[in-house]
Amino acid sequence: MNKHSVLVIDDEKNIRLTMMQALESLNFNIVTAVNGEEALQIMKEKAFDLVFLDLKLPGIHGMEVLQQIKSNWPNTRTIIITAHATVEYAVEAMKYGAIDFIQKPFSIKEIRELATSVINRREINESNASDYPSLITLAKHKINERNFVDANEAVSKAIAVNPNAPEAYNLLGALLEIKGDWLAAQKFYRTALDLDPTYKPAAANLARTTSLNRDGKISLSHEKDEKDE
Amino acid sequence: MNNRYIVIVGCGRLGSHLANKLSKCGNSVVIIDRDESNFGKLSPEFSGFRIEGDATQIDVLQSAKLGQADILIATAHEDNTNMMIAQVAKKVFGVTKVIARVFDPKHEEVLLKLDIEVICPTAAAAEMFLTAANRQS
Repeated sequence: MNKHSVLVIDDEKNIRLTMMQALESLNFNIVTAVNGEEALQIMKEKAFDLVFLDLKLPGIHGMEVLQQIKSNWPNTRTIIITAHATVEYAVEAMKYGAIDFIQKPFSIKEIRELATSVINRREINESNASDYPSLITLAKHKINERNFVDANEAVSKAIAVNPNAPEAYNLLGALLEIKGDWLAAQKFYRTALDLDPTYKPAAANLARTTSLNRDGKISLSHEKDEKDE
Repeated sequence: MNNRYIVIVGCGRLGSHLANKLSKCGNSVVIIDRDESNFGKLSPEFSGFRIEGDATQIDVLQSAKLGQADILIATAHEDNTNMMIAQVAKKVFGVTKVIARVFDPKHEEVLLKLDIEVICPTAAAAEMFLTAANRQS
């Protein structure tokens, strides 16, 4: 099997060092860049499976780098590195096609889990998903890939398989929220909660969408579940 | 021991020394200090994160992701500050291993009752002085 290649774009040396420490043991090929210009130059010469991108970069802004990556290398997945105070930029970046974000400070364990989970998401496809858990997983992956049509289809199939579980309704809500239909999204978050009042992702999404500050990460599942994937 | 997530409060002589050593061994280290200039004490090889802020504020501890920490080390100058942060780490964030520095040996007992490990430089130094004094006589 080919070694997965990862590019880390960050101007802070400590972040690059942490990333190297975290990913080297996973047997990934790691290349680092200190700014967007250098990163784009490197990407012209070599393809990457995964990019960790800091939005706050000297020179070209991280958002511009993200857009260039999306248009020139659509198969490369980008994870945004963000500071506590700038989470809203990360949410904005997700709209531009970043697959996930990680908030500073992070542990080596978090980086490894995120990188592995993002790389593994590619391995699951429509052909091997027929039961409820794999349809849910597939839907989440499709959402992360921004393939909302396929995500919708997977969610619908999941509901047909099991109409009494909350996850699929929460994902339907998430899909509607991404489309900007807040009211319909809230309706599905409520349905998920009606089925299981202890289902935290729907409770979190409902609380967030009904608050004044709607920015934040859409919860697709329990954190533990995501790590298990 | 490496690969742990460690939050250190205070980047003075002790805090920065511990941060440098723990980071060098491959741990993820987050160091918090109110004064940004104190981060100058960190070595160039320090690969952890710096947070400028008052660690007695809960949002500062949250931004350090204290809930995920394996260890909290409190090395602020004031005993009371360290005692408070250590208790918050233990009771609110559920950190398993909490180690606090206190200068006054009387404070040691209180923290031990709360399942917080204590390093008291005064008591430790006193012991060493006594040993040295007895050795000479």
